[in-house]
Amino acid sequence: MFAGAASKPATEEVVKAFEKKTGVKVNVTFGGSGFVLSQMTLAKKGDIYFPGSSDYMEIAKKRGDIIQETEKYVAYLVPAINVQKGNPKGIKSLADLSRPGVRVAIANPEGVCVGLYAVEIIERNLNSAQKTAFLKNLVNFTESCEKTATAVSLKTVDAVIGWRVFQYWDPERIETIPLKRHEIIRVGYIPIAVSKFTSNRVLAQKFIDFVLSENGKKIFRHYNYFMSPEEAQSWIGQKKPIGGEYEVPKNWIKR
Amino acid sequence: MSFKRIAITFSLVTFCLYGVLILSLLYFYKGSLFFEIFFSERTLFSIRLSIATATVATVFSMFFAVPSAYALSRYSFFGKKLVDTILELPMIVSPVALGAMVLIFFNTPYGMTIQSNGLQFVFTVYGILLAQFITTAGIATRLVKAAMDEIPQRYEEVAKTLGASPSKTFFNVTLPLSKNGIIAASILTWAKALGEFGATITIAGSMAMKTETIPVAIFMRLASADIEGTVVLVLILIGIGLSILYVVRLFTSKTPYV
Repeated sequence: MFAGAASKPATEEVVKAFEKKTGVKVNVTFGGSGFVLSQMTLAKKGDIYFPGSSDYMEIAKKRGDIIQETEKYVAYLVPAINVQKGNPKGIKSLADLSRPGVRVAIANPEGVCVGLYAVEIIERNLNSAQKTAFLKNLVNFTESCEKTATAVSLKTVDAVIGWRVFQYWDPERIETIPLKRHEIIRVGYIPIAVSKFTSNRVLAQKFIDFVLSENGKKIFRHYNYFMSPEEAQSWIGQKKPIGGEYEVPKNWIKR
Repeated sequence: MSFKRIAITFSLVTFCLYGVLILSLLYFYKGSLFFEIFFSERTLFSIRLSIATATVATVFSMFFAVPSAYALSRYSFFGKKLVDTILELPMIVSPVALGAMVLIFFNTPYGMTIQSNGLQFVFTVYGILLAQFITTAGIATRLVKAAMDEIPQRYEEVAKTLGASPSKTFFNVTLPLSKNGIIAASILTWAKALGEFGATITIAGSMAMKTETIPVAIFMRLASADIEGTVVLVLILIGIGLSILYVVRLFTSKTPYV
């Protein structure tokens, strides 16, 4: 299985539970979702593709690297502001990220979906003066979902726009500041699918079914993931679209 | 088969090994994409940034390497063995780990003071220079020391008996004699700095038009599952790196170590 590193702890536990139940050994290669997709395509190997978020599944689908009809949504992700534990800069809202002297990072909107969501949130909620100030504070595009969380853990930035779940990845160093409900545009999700290169589609499907079973969901819930759109929406307090496409404005990305 | 032929065969096998790897890039090569990527503002920036930082980092590395190598080669002092051993740190510890060590250092009170009152290294061009410097300084010292070890101390002793001071002996005898070794060390240091990736992305990040060197851009393409784009950037890095090294070799063709 080629898996995104973002959901590593939960994935490892699900794998262990599956191995215990079925006696089938699962070999997992963890890495950035795009990176493991490159590995899978170049190696022409792998039974399951389990990226950390939806964007690379879309690429995999377009290129025919996965069997489309096997795609399922595993967990749901809500965007939020993440700051250092104790919130030393006193960041309470999205507008605070435009304050002078706040160092901010977002994931690279070119390929990392949490970065894409961040850009959309900024574009839709900040006025042009705030946007200019935000861009001034923006010190890095992180190259993956997990590196966005690490940027806060290692205190290389004061805040990121990431997922609410980041707080549970490193509770001793990361704190989540929820966005206001109208500021959240959409909910992200973690998909899973059988790879086109599979040598045992039945067994691969069996693993996916296990992840989506109550046993699998229980493990992901233990790591504070939302396991249905309703759970995510009740946390936000409003219904929001799940996934969907957003085109990043040209000024954000230079080719 | 004569000994000469065997030796040449080995060198050709090594060449073929790398040659095949370069040729296999053509399997995913798209001609139209090459010019589009090569002449894009972003790639041209990365090229300029990579060459400039590798050159500055090499100057810094050599500035520290030459006197350190001389001290290690010629003098005995307390802790010499320890200093000598720690030069290998960049080879033992992976570049990502070295980068992480730097980030962790900047989390300490001393590191934080440097960051807030002195130079900002994290996610800036200075971070790239620091990454390339720490990954090359130890190796550069090791290479220059190897060259200086080869020079018989007798030449220096003769200069001293003729009344030359230690610094004059160093500048007029040791330095000219180790010129070839220093040039060779500079070339290898520059090449390593140009291809440096792990520490650079860890310390300086990967922001396009700001801290994205060519090796970082290659990783970003691969991490975006863009294999064709990756191939183009790898070809650009190989083309620039090898042609600059080739030209330098042409100008320094008499030097036996290069």
